[in-house]
Amino acid sequence: MHALIQAIILGILTGGVYALMASGQTMIFGIMKVVNLAQGALIMLGAYLTYSLFTGFGIDPFVSLLITTPLLFLLGVGLQWALLRPLHGDDVAQLSLLVTFAIALGVEGVLSFVYGATLTNIQPGYANDSWTMFGFQISVVRFWAFMISIVLLLALGALLKRTKFGRSVRATVQNPTSAELLGVNARRVSAIGFGLGSATAAAGGAVFGMLNSFNPGSHYDLISKLLTVVILGGLGSIGGAIYAAVIMGVISSVVAAVASPIWSDFAFFIVLLLVLLVRPQGLFGAKTRGAL
Amino acid sequence: MKSLVSPAGALRAGIFFAILIAIPLVGGPSWLLNMLIFTVMYAALSSSWNIVGGYAGYPSLGHAAFFGIGAYAVGITFSKSVGAGYSPFWSLPVIGLAVALIAVPVGWISMRTRQDVFAIVTITILFIAQTLAFNLNGLTGGAQGTSVAAPPFPAGTYDWPFYFAMVVILAVTMLISHLISNSKFGLALLTVRADEDKAQGIGVRVTGVKVSAFALSAGMVAMVGGIWAYYVGFIYPQFAVDPLITIGIVLMTFLGGKGTLWGPVLGAFILVPAQEYFAQAFGASELYLLAYALVFIVIMLFLPRGIIPSIAMARHRRWQRLAGEAGSTVPAAGGTSTDAMDPTATMTEGTR
Amino acid sequence: MQPLPRALGARTRRTLIGAALASAVALAATACSSGATAAGTGSGSGPLTIGISLSLSGDFSDSGKAAQRGYQLWMDDVNQQGGVLGRKIQLKIVDDASNPTQVVSNYTNLINQDHVDLVFGPFSSLLTVPASRVASRYDYAFIEPAGGGPSVFAQKLHNLFFVQPAPTTSGGLVFANYILSLPAAERPKTAAYVKLDDPFSAPIADLVKAKLEAAGIKTVYDKTYEAETADMTPIIAGVAAANPDVIVGGSQEADAFAQIKAMIQLHVNPKFLFEANGPNSPADFPPAVGTANTEDVFSSIDWYPGSTQAGSAAFIHSYLKKYGGTENQIDPTSAEAYSAGMLVDEVAKKTGKVDNQTIIDTLHSGAWPTLVGDLSWDASGAPQGEYKLVQWMGGKIQTVFPATGAQHAPVAPKRPWSGQ
Repeated sequence: MHALIQAIILGILTGGVYALMASGQTMIFGIMKVVNLAQGALIMLGAYLTYSLFTGFGIDPFVSLLITTPLLFLLGVGLQWALLRPLHGDDVAQLSLLVTFAIALGVEGVLSFVYGATLTNIQPGYANDSWTMFGFQISVVRFWAFMISIVLLLALGALLKRTKFGRSVRATVQNPTSAELLGVNARRVSAIGFGLGSATAAAGGAVFGMLNSFNPGSHYDLISKLLTVVILGGLGSIGGAIYAAVIMGVISSVVAAVASPIWSDFAFFIVLLLVLLVRPQGLFGAKTRGAL
Repeated sequence: MKSLVSPAGALRAGIFFAILIAIPLVGGPSWLLNMLIFTVMYAALSSSWNIVGGYAGYPSLGHAAFFGIGAYAVGITFSKSVGAGYSPFWSLPVIGLAVALIAVPVGWISMRTRQDVFAIVTITILFIAQTLAFNLNGLTGGAQGTSVAAPPFPAGTYDWPFYFAMVVILAVTMLISHLISNSKFGLALLTVRADEDKAQGIGVRVTGVKVSAFALSAGMVAMVGGIWAYYVGFIYPQFAVDPLITIGIVLMTFLGGKGTLWGPVLGAFILVPAQEYFAQAFGASELYLLAYALVFIVIMLFLPRGIIPSIAMARHRRWQRLAGEAGSTVPAAGGTSTDAMDPTATMTEGTR
Repeated sequence: MQPLPRALGARTRRTLIGAALASAVALAATACSSGATAAGTGSGSGPLTIGISLSLSGDFSDSGKAAQRGYQLWMDDVNQQGGVLGRKIQLKIVDDASNPTQVVSNYTNLINQDHVDLVFGPFSSLLTVPASRVASRYDYAFIEPAGGGPSVFAQKLHNLFFVQPAPTTSGGLVFANYILSLPAAERPKTAAYVKLDDPFSAPIADLVKAKLEAAGIKTVYDKTYEAETADMTPIIAGVAAANPDVIVGGSQEADAFAQIKAMIQLHVNPKFLFEANGPNSPADFPPAVGTANTEDVFSSIDWYPGSTQAGSAAFIHSYLKKYGGTENQIDPTSAEAYSAGMLVDEVAKKTGKVDNQTIIDTLHSGAWPTLVGDLSWDASGAPQGEYKLVQWMGGKIQTVFPATGAQHAPVAPKRPWSGQ
């Protein structure tokens, strides 16, 4: 019983981090109808940048977010402008899929070249500390990572609900043609949207790097988890992504602790398939005509 | 009355396969055969993928799962002995059929979603298959892998049976691809790709057609996987069910021309030797991933339709120009190529 | 008005282009094959070429590069002494990107296209198995420093020689022997096995489990986790619930560190802690968990900088001269690769010949000194020696078991993590 509750606590904390990483992904899809297969690689890039800032300059990973997030935002905007915007034709969706995968490979290639394949992680002094509460251990890093994720998600939510840009984004998600008719600059929204998605990758990367060992090849595993979270939650729905991420975190954690670690991801995949049988659009996805 | 195979098309296919078959017989060296085995393998894989990814418009990013299932089927059945060495080859049609049947429910579930979500669901299926390969230890050997018994082929001509088997499968997949593209089934797939709801509206049996394409494609891919397992001799879960295989297939199909008969084959014949060359010549660097990525991006940005359709389009535009000068009518774009599935044919409302 | 001449011209053109391309490939191929010179067969003169496929990119690339350094160092040292039987060594190293399909192509090409005289094995059991089959098919000796999992020896290949003291599963055997050597009152009563799902790590823990269970030590946790599991905390939470006296990790380096970090975070303090890999890396372990937390952790090793094996000091000296750095940064894989080269040299000196058949016949008898110990093999290529059990004391590795030759007596039980 103790193990079960400990596992659930761990799962929720991990789920928060995945929610942050998945939110960028689902937002990009919502705006541009692009499945960003590069999200995992961008998260790795964020992790490595944080690592370099930490080992090279001694900057605390949470503090370095102030540097890495804007950097990756700009990178995201640049990538979208250079590589995704020029795509035309009937197969834009498929081509974008492949281009984002190419971006992922390219980022992996550069990271392998610069950092090699050794597994690294970001180890601030407090990396292994934990608090004891009611007999359960709560890791310091994990807790703060969760809090940061919540804060950033709330900020993202506020951005989308309260600002003009946010309204443009939501309009574009609901109906791109009407949005353009109403004067929303779709190109700008796409570019900034992709930038924001990459910025969340930076944040996600910093916390991911503190919790796990990673190398440039870790993005495959990560992207598969993110995609399943995003689909379960419903493509385009940030709230959905958050719920799905927490569900995923808890399921994986409980299965790993109580049953068998090798089935922990599998359990989650099965849940996904079952949900898709009943609701092909995911838990909170919109049943729009066309892709979903 | 259009005959099933045009004379020029038959000539092309005939010369191509004649050369392929002749290479070992005239003394092609073992290293060349080794490379060709993988080239033809990818050509067959890409051709099969093309049926569901190109003709039907459903990009399955999880096809490597079926490759792996075929590989394990051979690995498990023949781990102890292979008799004279030919039994695995005879078992291939059975494996192909069995996997096609397994693929029917899988396709039915995953094709309840549309293009983008479908792509992701197939990735999920890939990872499920990989996890099963790892975890069903008793059956697959798990992470320790499983071996296929070594065949008693003489060292001098060791590669020949595998090579010919791959060539045969390539011929079969291309034949099926060609038959589909000239049939009512193929037309139905085209309409599904163009606009599924409208297709349903006019009475096309959309689900049946989609799932059949998926299952057919999966079965053929599984057969190739079986030969691969036999050739390499030892299979591990992460290499038999490997996302990079799918990526390679998709890239080659796109390079050569998705939805055409020869496009995937051309793509494979360009990329596989190129990749082997880079591995040998440039060995040590991690930059090969970057090179892959650049090739990808260049193709997507400059040749989004692939080589063959781009050539066809360029030719068509040249005729249009010339015809415009002479003031005559120009044959419709769809008629200039021998493939009915030519994507340069005007296809309106491919919007999603 | 007539429509323009139709596609027939273009179709024929395309057919001809296709035919031309295919013919060109075939012609080039036959030209290449006839142009390839047959390199020496080991009994001739001219340089002695050795073909090796290494993981220079991909998951195993760090170890692959370490192996490359070891081979190149050996080549330089031997060539300085005049080569092997008067022939200079030339290495042909190709990259397999840590992929078994590529490794098959590589060895096929090395043997059939480049006609190398000898081959050495690639990195890891994963790649060694398919590669050794190719070598066996063409009757090449297969000296390999990095493939020691059970699947390698299950092939029963007579041409294979694993250059480490024992099959990798025995890495745990020495720990099991230590535990069983303790008087009954001091032995652990319960054991947990936390295993990485790959061809070499899990079997190590399984072997320990077999021996400990036979002696009555109860197994309270036995689970496998998949490779690239990023987060070990749920798993260790499960281990903690079982409250074992000894934790045996069948692991590679990164996950061993992850396990230990999770144990620290979750305040799990077993009386004995053994990790198959990870704590056997003097350079990587202290930074990963903090020097204070390395205390009393067990692992096993074949070569390490403090080794007293003959030739080790000279090796370290040459290595640092060529590559710089400190001795703690030398990856044991380099020493293993170097040892593979040493074997070729020793066979040549003993028999005066260096062709594949001689190597295969000669190495199967006697003991052969290398940096990783004096090696001898059974008919399937499994070495018949033993690893050394090491333990961390005062921030350094000490050999503690078997008692003969040990630098220090082992310490038990393990002190709690720093600050707990």
